[in-house]
Amino acid sequence: MSATACLQLKDVERVYDDGHPIHALRPTDLDIFAGDYVTITGASGSGKSTLLNILGLLDRPTAGSYQFGGIDIAAAGEKVRGAVRGQKFGFVFQSYHLVLRRSALENVELGMLYGPHRARRRRDVAAEALERIGLSHRMHADPRQMSGGERQRIAIARAIATRPSVLFCDEPTGNLDSQNTANVLDVLQELHRDGLTVVVVTHDAHVASVGTRRLSVTDGRVREEQR
Amino acid sequence: MRRRNNARVLEALGVRVAKLRGVDLIRESWISIAGNPGRSLVTALGTVLGAAAFVSTLGLSSTLGRQVSAEFDVYRATEVVVRAEDAQVSREWQESEKLGVLRSLNGVQAAGARVSLFERRVQRTAALGGDTASARIVGADPEALKVIQPRLTTGRLPDQFHEETAAKVALLPKTIADKLGVQRTGVAVFVDDQAYSVIGIFDEVERSPEAMISLLVPFRVAEELSFGISADQVDREVLIETAPGAAQYIGRQAPLALHPQSPESLRAIAPPDPMTLRRSVEGNVTKLSLLLSIVALAIGTVSIGNAASASIAARTSEIGLRRAVGARPVHVFAQLLGETTVLGLAGGLAGAFLGATVTVGASLWNGWQPVIDLKQAVLATAVGAAAGLIAGLIPALKAMRIEPVAALQR
Ligand SMILES: Nc1ncnc2c1ncn2[C@@H]1O[C@H](COP(=O)(O)OP(=O)(O)O)[C@@H](O)[C@H]1O
Ligand SMILES: [Mg+2]
Repeated sequence: MSATACLQLKDVERVYDDGHPIHALRPTDLDIFAGDYVTITGASGSGKSTLLNILGLLDRPTAGSYQFGGIDIAAAGEKVRGAVRGQKFGFVFQSYHLVLRRSALENVELGMLYGPHRARRRRDVAAEALERIGLSHRMHADPRQMSGGERQRIAIARAIATRPSVLFCDEPTGNLDSQNTANVLDVLQELHRDGLTVVVVTHDAHVASVGTRRLSVTDGRVREEQR
Repeated sequence: MRRRNNARVLEALGVRVAKLRGVDLIRESWISIAGNPGRSLVTALGTVLGAAAFVSTLGLSSTLGRQVSAEFDVYRATEVVVRAEDAQVSREWQESEKLGVLRSLNGVQAAGARVSLFERRVQRTAALGGDTASARIVGADPEALKVIQPRLTTGRLPDQFHEETAAKVALLPKTIADKLGVQRTGVAVFVDDQAYSVIGIFDEVERSPEAMISLLVPFRVAEELSFGISADQVDREVLIETAPGAAQYIGRQAPLALHPQSPESLRAIAPPDPMTLRRSVEGNVTKLSLLLSIVALAIGTVSIGNAASASIAARTSEIGLRRAVGARPVHVFAQLLGETTVLGLAGGLAGAFLGATVTVGASLWNGWQPVIDLKQAVLATAVGAAAGLIAGLIPALKAMRIEPVAALQR
């Protein structure tokens, strides 16, 4: 897969049009290859999240084509997009989005709820995922009693439990102190080493420096920075 | 076309359409409900009350209904009294030939004539002074006595011979006998210088309690006394004992049998049918109960709907996350609907239990035999679930329209 692009944007554009148009993402060509660790930086409001959401199939472009694995899914129906989101992509957000009153394990299981596994199997896989990021001992703990770093690692476990090919992170360390940031970055790097394609939006230069490819967004225009 | 295309695309991408199994749907709904018991309780309260009202009012009405028929005086329920509409009606209807016709009716156990006269002073001796008591002079033939069924403490009842010979014999209620100092039979008591030989003393009657203050003599004896009195001071009756359940029917037939020329000049007084009585008690309570339950369930539906709508805002992030991990809008819809339905069901079940408890409690308190219809409890639970389902529609529709992007960027 490394020869052909895994994710391929062609002339993709996102315009918000309520009253006067906002060009959140100007026509963009972008290839992301399997095994890439892409970081996306830019000022607040520059369009980083817009780009990530389109890549992650959480949002639809207003123009252009988007191919995943050689198939155009920009205009595909919700069934296809939902299936890809759930089974090929994983998501980590700044504010964790853990469901309250559910244990760490239950939160990880939730990531697989709409997939092919039955409840027993989901539980086993969730436990493995927690083990992989070193949180086995917190399996039955209530996330409200955990540090931000631990919560974010649970969110990562939830995202990777389905064995996705791409992990999308929007400001994953935005709410974390430097120690917890370092922990999360370690986990991401390890996952990347194991073959996962990682796309991280951040405005932290240190977090951005970890990637193998660096993109920067300014006023909806995406530019690749050469190292 | 789209479907086949989808299948090809899905296969090429190596993914399967997201699904939510029934067990998982129920489990998710249950976790959401059980995970937030406070919210769930407040939400379901309306359904709990509605179901409780339904089960307890219906239960209590059945209990009461049974109580009414159980306590219904079985003797009174088999007693029919026939009277003339006015004193001018000729007394032929009390003749033995007419009574014979009446007795031949199916359901008549006994039927006899009674005539009640003035109240008189009854004395132990013919002379002035001595013990006196006041009693109504009542003539009853042996059949009428069968209907009245005096319980004798001593002596015997007048029989056909006494009746035919117009023998001057009397039955005394115990209270009057005590007043007069009569302890045994064979002694005489006097009314207007006329001696009556006491042949029996009774302390209780099954029917016609007014007999307890009467001096009972053979019908013909009283009849002879009545000749000297104006007709409107004489009460003429035919007493009938019917088979259980036949009172209403005999009540309709008796005037016809006793006075075929003009049955409308007689009036039969039959006790209300215990079944009718019970139905009318139950019917009234049932209407009230249904009204109450419908109001409570409507409030329950609105309260579930409101609480679910309000909780959507708090759960936007959760819903966005479910979409991100693959849930289709229909899954979000199904889950929210599942939650309100389970809440409604649980509320209905809890309410049914509560209602049954109230019924049993109130019954035990009053010493009644509680009657609880399982069907009503099941119905209440089902209606609770339906209320939850209906209540969930609007919030579930709202929730399925939540866009994952908007939900996750908070
Ligand atoms: N739902 C929306 N409606 C209108 N404008 C939006 C919406 N979401 C984002 N935008 C605008 O698009 C631009 C890019 O937003 P975003 O991608 O969230 O920026 P970043 O993540 O880089 O901070 C901003 O100007 C923002 O105001
Ligand atoms: Mg952003």
